[in-house]
Amino acid sequence: MAPTKAPAAPSSQNPVVLLWKAYNQQTPDRLKFIDAFLFFLMLSGIIQFAYCVLVTNYPYNAFLAGFASTVGQFVLAASLRSQVNPQNKDEFKEVSPERAFADFALGSIVLHFFVYNFLG
Amino acid sequence: MFSLRRWCLLALSLAGVLVDAKSSTGDSVLVVVDPAQQDNYSIFFNGLKDQGYELTFRSPKVEKPVIIEDNVSNFAHVILLAPEAKNLGKDITPQSIVELLSLKTNVVVALPTKQSPLHALAAEFSLILPPPGSPLISYSPKRDTPSTLIPISVEDHSSPVLTKHIRPVWFSGIPQALGNNPLLIPILRAPAESFASEVTVTSGSAEALVDAAEKGGEGLWAGSSLSAVTGFQATNGARITFVGGAEVFSDELAQKEAEQYVQSGNIDFVKEVAAWTFQENLVLRIEKVEHHLVNGTEPKETYTINDNVEFSAYISKWNPAKGEWQPYSGLKDLQLEFTMLDPFVRTALPPVNGAPGKYSTAFRAPDRHGVFKFVINHKRKGWSFLESSTTVPVVPPRHDGYPRFLSAAWPYYAGAISTSVAFFLFSTIWLAGEARDSKKGKAAKSE
Repeated sequence: MAPTKAPAAPSSQNPVVLLWKAYNQQTPDRLKFIDAFLFFLMLSGIIQFAYCVLVTNYPYNAFLAGFASTVGQFVLAASLRSQVNPQNKDEFKEVSPERAFADFALGSIVLHFFVYNFLG
Repeated sequence: MFSLRRWCLLALSLAGVLVDAKSSTGDSVLVVVDPAQQDNYSIFFNGLKDQGYELTFRSPKVEKPVIIEDNVSNFAHVILLAPEAKNLGKDITPQSIVELLSLKTNVVVALPTKQSPLHALAAEFSLILPPPGSPLISYSPKRDTPSTLIPISVEDHSSPVLTKHIRPVWFSGIPQALGNNPLLIPILRAPAESFASEVTVTSGSAEALVDAAEKGGEGLWAGSSLSAVTGFQATNGARITFVGGAEVFSDELAQKEAEQYVQSGNIDFVKEVAAWTFQENLVLRIEKVEHHLVNGTEPKETYTINDNVEFSAYISKWNPAKGEWQPYSGLKDLQLEFTMLDPFVRTALPPVNGAPGKYSTAFRAPDRHGVFKFVINHKRKGWSFLESSTTVPVVPPRHDGYPRFLSAAWPYYAGAISTSVAFFLFSTIWLAGEARDSKKGKAAKSE
C-alpha cells in the first residue's frame, strides 16, 4: 500500500498524462473518492460564483450561503483527506481515521445548520 | 294660517340667500371716507349692503372706531376711499395696514395722485408709483372727456380675478408699475397707448418725469405693462387691492356711457374687485387629507420602502351665493410631492370621477427610508393658496418582511441543497466503504 515512485517514464511522454497515470495507479480508492467529492464541490462553487457575477447577486445572502456551503464543505473534506491519507500517518498520530471522519461529519452538520439559516 | 306664514318665511329666507353673496371671512366692513364724499359712492356702497355686508363709515379726521384693538382686528374688511386726505388717522399708517393683512383682514386701497403715506404702503407691496402729480393719460380713443379720464376695455379672462364679462371701465388715477413680487396680480391693465405724466406738460415737468424714471430704473410709466388696478394676496390668504383712483368707484363714472348707449362696466368691475378682495371668489381650502396602502383603508403609522401608497385630498371652494363651502373638483394641475428634504416623488393629483372634491393618486414609495412628507403646495395667481404637509416615516422591511424563495436565487438554493445531499451520500458511502475495508483488512490479515 505504501506508495513508491513510479519508474522513470520515457521523456517523450506528456507530463500531464504522466501525472494522471501516476495518480490513477498510486492513489488509494478512498482518497480518489474524496477527490471526486472535492471536484464536485469546486464545480458547484464555480457555477454559483459565475451566476453571481454574470447574472445577479440578488439576494446576496442566498449567494453567500450557497457559496460558503461549497467552500466550507470543500475545506472540511480537504482536511479529512489530509488526515486519512496514509502518507500523513506520522503527522496525525493521535487522530485515527474514524476520529477524522467524526470531526468532518460534525463540522459539516454545523456548517449546514448555519447555511440554511442564512439562505433565506 | 301657520303653514302659510312658514312658507312666507321660507320664501323670504330663500330670497335672502339668493341675493346675498357672502364673504368667506366675515361681513363687517370699515369704510374710511370723507363724509362729504360719501354720497358720491352710493351705488358701490349700496351694492355691498345688498350683498349682506355691514358697512361702518369713518371719517379720515375721526379716529373711531379703531381698526385694531388688543392685537385683534375689529373688521373683516377695510376700504380706504379717502385718497385726498393728507392723514388717515393715527391708527391707519402703512405699518398698521401691513399688520391688518397679517391679521387676515382684507383691504381695498384707492391711491391718491398727490404725495401721501399710501405711496409708502404701495412700495411695501413692490408697486412702483409714478412721481406725485402724474396721473395716467391717454389721447386715444378720441373723445370729449379730459385726457385723464380713460375708458379701459376689459378682455375676458385677462385676469383670473375677473370671472365674468365686463364692459369698458372708466378709469381716472395713477398707474402702478409692478415689481417682480410673484404675489402681485394685475387686475386691470393700462391701455397700450397710455402713459403717466403731468396733465399740463411743460418742458420742465417732462424732464422731471424722465429723470424720475431713470432713477427708479424701470423706464417710463407707459404702456400696457402698467397696471391700473392691482391685487396682492399675502401668504396667509389675506388680500389687498390697490386701485389707481377713487373715481373708479364713483356713481358718476358708474352711470357714464362708455360708448353711445352702452353703460360703463364700473359697477360690475368694482363688484368683482370687491368680491375677490373680500374673499368671495377664488377661495379654496383643503378639508382633509388621507393616506393608506393601495390595498388597505386605514392610514398607517409607518410605511415600508417600496410600498404602494394611495393619497387623497378633499378640496372645497367657497360658494358666495350660498355662503357655504362646496366640494370642488375643478383643479386640473394639482400636484403631490413625497419629500425628504428633496421631493423624491412628484406626481399629478387628479380629481376622482364620481367623488366631488376628492383628488387621489397612488404611487410607489421610494427605495429609501427616512422621515417623509406628503406635500401639497398649490399657488396660482388669484386663487387662495393650498398648502398641506403630512409627515410619515418610511422604514426598511422588518427582518421577516423581506421577500423569500425568489426565482433568481434558485441556483444558490440548489447549490446549498446539492452540497448537503452530496455530503449525506458521501458519508453513507464512506461508512459503507469503511465497513467493507475493515472486512477486507481482516481478510487480508487472516490471509
